[in-house]
Order: sequence, then C-alpha cells, then structure tokens
Amino acid sequence: METQGEIKATSAESFYPRDEDIEKWMANAFDMAKDALENGEVPVGCLMVYNDEVVGRGRNEVNETKNATRHAEMVALDQLLDRCRHSNLDVRSVCERTALYVTVEPCIMCAAALRLLNIPVVVYGCRNERFGGCGSVLDVSSADLPQTGNTFKCVSGHRAQEAVEMLKTFYKQENPNAPKPKTRKD
Amino acid sequence: MEPQMKRWKGSEFDTDSWVAYPVLSDEQSQDVELVEAFAAPIVNKKETSRLVRELNGLYPLDGLQHIKRVRACKEKDSPHPLEVLVCLVSDAPDRKAVSIDSLLPSDGVGRDGLGEPFVVKVPARPPLTRPQFELASKQWPTSFHEDKQVTVALRGELFSPPQKAAMHMYMMSAIAAARAGKEMGMEAVGAVVVNPATQTIIAVGHDCRGDHPLHHAVTVCVDLVARSQGGGCYSFDRYPACRFTSPTSDTFQNVPDAEGSSQPYICTGYDLYVTREPCVMCAMALVHSRIGRVFYGTASADGALGTKFKIHSQKDLNHRFEVYKGVLSKQCEGLNKLDNHIL
Ligand SMILES: [Zn+2]
Ligand SMILES: [Zn+2]
Repeated sequence: METQGEIKATSAESFYPRDEDIEKWMANAFDMAKDALENGEVPVGCLMVYNDEVVGRGRNEVNETKNATRHAEMVALDQLLDRCRHSNLDVRSVCERTALYVTVEPCIMCAAALRLLNIPVVVYGCRNERFGGCGSVLDVSSADLPQTGNTFKCVSGHRAQEAVEMLKTFYKQENPNAPKPKTRKD
Repeated sequence: MEPQMKRWKGSEFDTDSWVAYPVLSDEQSQDVELVEAFAAPIVNKKETSRLVRELNGLYPLDGLQHIKRVRACKEKDSPHPLEVLVCLVSDAPDRKAVSIDSLLPSDGVGRDGLGEPFVVKVPARPPLTRPQFELASKQWPTSFHEDKQVTVALRGELFSPPQKAAMHMYMMSAIAAARAGKEMGMEAVGAVVVNPATQTIIAVGHDCRGDHPLHHAVTVCVDLVARSQGGGCYSFDRYPACRFTSPTSDTFQNVPDAEGSSQPYICTGYDLYVTREPCVMCAMALVHSRIGRVFYGTASADGALGTKFKIHSQKDLNHRFEVYKGVLSKQCEGLNKLDNHIL
C-alpha cells in the first residue's frame, strides 16, 4: 500500500481504496462467504482493512449468541476495537483509515455503527433489499445525522451477482421445518 | 443539581405529570394532501340519484372511494341545496374548461338539473387519524374508518392509571440506571426491557460508550436480554446497574405463545423503556430484535423513532412496532441537561 509518510499526508476524506485493493480484499471476503455457505451459515463475508492489514473479520453470529445484532460487520468492528485496545492504538485514527469490505450491503444498524466509528469507505457486493442502510431501504451512509459520526463513501456492485446467488442458495437450503423466527440473517 | 433531585423525588408517583403520545407513521401524521376537482350545483334535487349514477359511470373517481360524491351546500341562503363532484381536474377533457358541456360529452350523462362547474379541493387519500379526518372534512365530505386506539392515543388517554403507574415505575428504573452510568463517566442514558405479560423486568442497562463506542443503553440491553436467554457476547459485570433476570419457568408458563413453546425469543413481545429517543443503530437493533413496543422520555437530535426517521414504521422493513414518547419527559430531559453540563 502506501508508506507511513504518505498516509499522514492524505486526509481522511481522500482515503480511498485502489482497484487492486478492492479486487484482493473482496476476493478474501467472498472466500469467507463461500465458506459460511458450505457450513450452512449466512453467506456474508466481511473484513476491515487498515494499513493493508486485516484488523477485523466477521461472520454472522446471531444464532449462537441469541443477539440479533451480531451481524458480520458488528463482529468485525469488535475485533478492530479489541485490537486497538491491545496494541494501544487510538481508535479514531485507526477507524478513519480503515475500509470495510463486505459481500452484501450493510444493514441500517451496521451502517449507523460504521458512521459512529467514522469508517470512511465501505466496499460491498450486492444490495440488501430487506435491510440495506446504504440506499436500499434507507441511506444512512450519507444522511444528515450530525450526532451520528461521519458519512461514508460506498463502492458497490463488485461481484454483485455472485453475492446474490450465494444468498439465494442459502435461503433455498434453509430447513423448512425449522421454527421460522429462529433463522435470521442480515 | 440539588433542586432537580428534589423535584424528581417530589413527583416520584405523580403519573399526572406526563403524557405518553404515540409516534405515528408519516402517513398518519402528515398534512392532508388535496387534489383539484370540478363540482357543480344540483339545481334540480330530483335529478340527484340519476346524476350520481351516471357520473359514477363516466367519471368513477378511482382511488378516491373515501370522497362522498354529493355534499350539502355550505351557505344557508344558497339557491341550490346540493353540490356534486363531476370529475378530477386532471381527468377533465379540457382542464381549462369551465362549462358543464365540455365536461360531459353528448351521451352518458344527462345534464338536466346541473349548474355550471366550479373548482373545489378534495382530499387525495383516505384520512387515517381523527385530526386528518377533521381537516379533510373541511374541504369536502369524507368517510373515515376510525382506528379508535389511535384516536384515544392521540388524546394521550390510551393508558389507564394502573398502566401509567407501571410505566412510571419502569422509566424510573431507566432513569436510575442512567444516573448510575453517569457516575461512571458515561452519557446519562438508561433503558429497561420489560415483559409486559408477566410485568417483570428482564434487563436494565445504561450507556457504556466510554468503554465501547457502540455500547449505547439500548444495545447494552439487547445483549443483556440475550444473556438472560443463555446467549449474549459481552460482560457488563463491572457496571452494577447493568443487570438481567433470567425468566424462570413459572413466569413463562401462563404466557400464551404463538409458537406453542414457552421459550422466549430475543425481544419478541417485550417492551423497552429508554430515557431518550434511540439513534439509528439502536432503533434498527430493536427491529432486528423484534421488540414489542418502545417508550421513550424525550426526543433526541438524531433520533430514529420520530425525529430523523421513523424506523418503527419504515416501509419495506419486516417488523414494525408501536412507539410512545413523553414518559417522564421532564425527568428524562433533566438527564440530558446533566450531559450538556459536562460537555
Ligand atoms: Zn447489519
Ligand atoms: Zn444508539
């Protein structure tokens, strides 16, 4: 990526992933999603990259935690925060130079959480028609919410069809006998 | 801070000091939208039923079933007693036409008994609330299928004195939690999750964002509820005011459950009391958690249950819930002032 000096020279506003970064990290996110699908889990892959290094990685943990907010993004954000704590890094200055790569558009809740942490860029694959917070249901990413962190930029559509197909496959293979509300996905 | 504490204590059981009002959807709370239409006097009353029948055939007023076709004349000394809606201005063959002949083609409607048309405004949509109905009816007679609960709620009279006493008590717990959090350096926001069927408190939480930027009072409570069900992913043990109660089997036995099982599932059927309006993240966390109802004290600048968004009534989302604001509003506002003093 860039050298330390160059990073300091660019402001948070101009922070933007290059095409080859998008290619590389989205491939990684798609591998995670595929892996989840093969294990019968919600096929969403998500990683947070700071300084060309993965600082957070998440998969949906709603069912095992019985906490409906444990979306992949929230899990990844927790990892980022833990890492800052352990390495004695300033959360804000790390977040301001961290990009989120995720196979599906973050939901309204996750989009607001990303704003609260001042994540500047989100790269995602397909739209989230049911809960999307980057324009599909609401546009939290750019809304005028002065007390909810910063707006963030979205780069959408990378391998979108593939992401949609994985979600479709997942919905199809869901056990039809399972109690309905127990299977939740974002 | 002292006088505030005294006032707070003085009104501890005074449920008359606040009123809970519903936070309705945009459709329910917006102004009455009007469309222009041509009306005409019925100069011969005997022709009324024929005119209505023939006009319904020619200009059926699709999507405006709430509009009555005929109205009695407003002015007492009017030469004609009735007026009839001919068509929407947008449906007229010539929008600038002011003659009855241009509105009614040669066959279809006999013009006997009709005077010259004039423009009126009629409500574009059926009224959803009594205030909308009253405004709409001033323009043109409108029918209204009243949701009595909404009417009563808008008057601030939905909850009985015993219900208000319980709500008062739950919000007092949320306020106490907010104060405890404040003492630990957090924002003064507290929340309580209640199972209204058993009248038990499931979880009490306060803002913990000093230690984790996403641990708002609501997200703390959501995880505490998860812990009460054997899940959860955080420990709030270092905050004595954040706590949960695992539902015991006997408190759940007499609760009818649609699934036929007595296992609680996330926040289904639970009520949340929170001292101030939740942010977007927290509001959507409540959608994901299938909360039953939300009661909050005061609005907040970026609030998502009424102020900036109405996520509880958002189109396209798969779970909607009722929201009421104003519970112990003065005391909750007092908490906001505590925060502003520090800032
Ligand atoms: Zn999400
Ligand atoms: Zn919040």
